[in-house]
Amino acid sequence: MIKKLHKLFSSVKLTIFLFLFLAVTSIMGTIIQQGLPMERYKSLYSPSVFSALKFFNIFDMYHSWWFTTLLTLLSINIIVCTFKQVPRIIRLISPEKKEIDDTVFKSSQIRKTFQSQKKLSDIERHAEIIIKSLVGTPVKTVKNDTIYFLAERGRYSRLGMIFVHISILLILAGGLIGTILGFHGQMNIVEGEKSDTVTLFGGEGAKKLDFDVRCDDFTVEFYETGMPKEYKTDLTIMNDGKKVDSGTIRVNHPFIYKGLKFCQATYGIAGVSDFKVVTKNNGTGDETVLKLNMMKKVSLPGSNASFAIARFVTDHGGMGPAVLGVLLEPGKAQHDIFWIFQNGHNINQQQKSGFTFTLDSFSRLYYTGIQVSKDPGVPLVWIGFCLIMMGFILSLFFTHKRIWMKISGSQDKYEISIAASVSKNRKTFEEKLEGLTGKITVE
Amino acid sequence: MNDTFLISIVTFTYFLAAFVFLISIVFNKKSVDKWALIITIAGLILQTSAIIMRWIHSYQLGIGHAPLSNFYESLVFFSWSIIFVYLIIRKRYWNNLFGVLSAFFAFLILAYASLSGNVNCAIQPLIPALQSNWLISHVISSFLAYACFTIAFGTSVLCLLKIKMKPNMLPDAPFLDEVTYKMISIGFVLLTLGIITGAAWADRAWGRYWGWDPKETWSLITWLIYGAFLHARLARGWRGVKMSLVSIIGFIAVIFTYLGVNYVLAGLHSYL
Repeated sequence: MIKKLHKLFSSVKLTIFLFLFLAVTSIMGTIIQQGLPMERYKSLYSPSVFSALKFFNIFDMYHSWWFTTLLTLLSINIIVCTFKQVPRIIRLISPEKKEIDDTVFKSSQIRKTFQSQKKLSDIERHAEIIIKSLVGTPVKTVKNDTIYFLAERGRYSRLGMIFVHISILLILAGGLIGTILGFHGQMNIVEGEKSDTVTLFGGEGAKKLDFDVRCDDFTVEFYETGMPKEYKTDLTIMNDGKKVDSGTIRVNHPFIYKGLKFCQATYGIAGVSDFKVVTKNNGTGDETVLKLNMMKKVSLPGSNASFAIARFVTDHGGMGPAVLGVLLEPGKAQHDIFWIFQNGHNINQQQKSGFTFTLDSFSRLYYTGIQVSKDPGVPLVWIGFCLIMMGFILSLFFTHKRIWMKISGSQDKYEISIAASVSKNRKTFEEKLEGLTGKITVE
Repeated sequence: MNDTFLISIVTFTYFLAAFVFLISIVFNKKSVDKWALIITIAGLILQTSAIIMRWIHSYQLGIGHAPLSNFYESLVFFSWSIIFVYLIIRKRYWNNLFGVLSAFFAFLILAYASLSGNVNCAIQPLIPALQSNWLISHVISSFLAYACFTIAFGTSVLCLLKIKMKPNMLPDAPFLDEVTYKMISIGFVLLTLGIITGAAWADRAWGRYWGWDPKETWSLITWLIYGAFLHARLARGWRGVKMSLVSIIGFIAVIFTYLGVNYVLAGLHSYL
C-alpha cells in the first residue's frame, strides 16, 4: 500500500494530471462570480443546480475542500519527486574525485577517441585550448605515463530545478498561512469619523481591530477629461482616544500599521451638509446668506416666517443639485414647499412670499473605502518568488559541463580519448567539440 | 508626424517583410532573406521610435507615462515583442518560415490596432490604479512571454502540419518541436516573472498578492498548461503531435488571459 502510494506520488504523470486538472477546474471560478451573497446565487440558479454548486462550494471554489485537496496532493507530489532527485543532485554537485576513473570514457553521453602523430607538447597545448574554450581551465594529472585533463563548470546549475520546486512549496505554504492567520476586508469611514470594524470579504462577518482608524480627510482629483487622477485619505490611528500614528494613503501607496496594510480602494459621498441659501428680499433688495443643515429650522430675516430644507438631490431634472425648501408662515395652514437650485438660470430662482431663494453652496462629505489586510504568509511567498527566479536563471542561463581527456600511448602514435557530459544544449556542444578536435588530428 | 501614423507605416513594413520572407522560401534564395531581414529591422526601429515618440508626447500633454497603459498601446507593444523575440532567436534557429510567421503575426496585431474601430488610440491619462512603478516591469515581462508563446504556437502548428501532411517545404518535425520547446521554456520564465510582478503590484494596490480575480486565475491557468508541457517533455519524453497540441491549447489560454478576461468576464483588471 505504502509502496503503491509512493509510486503514485513520485510520478510526473500525476504532476501533469494535477496541473491540467487544476487548470480546467479553475476556469469555473472565472465564469461563476466568486464570493457573492448566497441570496444572489439562489436567484440565479434553480434549486437543484444551486444545491449541487453549493455542495462543491463553487461559489468560493478556490478555498473549497476539493480544491485544497488538489493543492495538497500537488504539494505531496512535489515533495516526493524532489526528495527522489536529491541524492542524484548531491552526487552531481559534490566536488569531483581527484582520482580519475577510466569508466567515464566508456559511459559518458559524449565520447570520442582518435589518434594523433603530433608532438606530445603540441597535443597537450591543443587539448588545453579545446577544454578551455568548451568548459574552462583544465586540471592536469599524470598517472602511469598517461596524461589526464579534466574541467568542470556550472555545477550549481543543477540546483535550479530543486530551487524551483522548493519555491512552489514555499508559495503554497505562504498561501496556507495567509488563509488561516490572515484576513482581508474593507472599512468605509466618513470624513472626521472613526471606526474599528473591518467587514471581511466573502461574507465572513466582521473583524474588530484593537485600535480605531480615523479618516481625517479625503480628497479626489480629476483630470480635465473627467477621469479620476488621485484618491487620497489622511488617516490617524487612535488608541483609547489618543493619537498613535498617522499617515496618508493613495492608490498603490498603502499605509502599514502593526502588520496591517491599509489600501485606498474606493470612495463615495456619505452626505452633504453646510448648505448656504441666499435669500433676497424682493422689496428691499437685501440679501442674506442662510447657513442651513437638513431639517433645522431658521427664521427668515426681515419677516416672521421660518425656513428649513428637507431634502437634497445631486441632480434635479437635469438642472443640477437642488434642495427642497420649506417655508412656514404664521397663520398659514399649509407649508410652502419648493425646489431651490444653484445660480445660473432665472428659472432656478424661486420667488416665494416676497423672497428669492438661490442655493449658493454646500459641502460634500465623503467616505473613504479602505481595504485592510493582514497576511503573515507574505514573507514566505516573497522568498518563494525570489527563489523561483533564481532557480530559473540557474537552469536557463547556466549549463553544467564536464569534460575529461586522456592522452596515452607513445611517440608518433598517441591515443586521445575525450568524454564529456552537459546538462543541456548537447548538440551545440558536440558540434563545437567536433570542430575543435580537428586541430589535433589534422596535420 | 504623430506616432499612430508611424505605426501605420510599420504595419505595412511588417506585411512587406512577411511577403519578402515568403519569396525567399519559394525561390530558396539567401540574398532575398537578407532583404527581408533588413525590412524587418527597419520596421522594428521605426516602431521603437513610434513608441518613444508617444512616450515623449504624453509628457508634452502633461500626463506623462510609459505607453503601456491601454489596449492600443498593449497591441503595439505585443507586436514589437514578437519581432524582438524573433530577431533574438533568429541566429540560433534560422528558418525563413519563422520570419514569415513573426512578421505576419506582428502585422495582424498592428492592423487590428490601427484599423479596428473599437481600439482607441488616443493618449489617455493614467487612472490611479495604474500609477505604479510595477507597471513597466509587469507589462514588459508579460508581453515578452506572450510573444514567445505566439512564436511557439506558430512552430507547433507547423510541426503538426509536417507530421500529418508531410510537405517538403517545412523543416523537420524534431527541429520544429525543439524550437517550440525552447520558446515555451523562455516564455514560461517570463510569464512567471509577469505573474510575480503582478502579485507584488496587487499587494500594494489591494493589500493582497493573489485574489483569484479572473485575470489572475487565467494567468495561472496558462502557467499550469505550459508547466504541464514542460514536465511532459522533460520528464516523460513527449514529442511531436502531443506536444504541439498542448502548445496550441496553451496559446488559446494566452489569448483568453489577454483578451477574453476583458471582453467576456468581469474583473478588477478591466484596463487590460
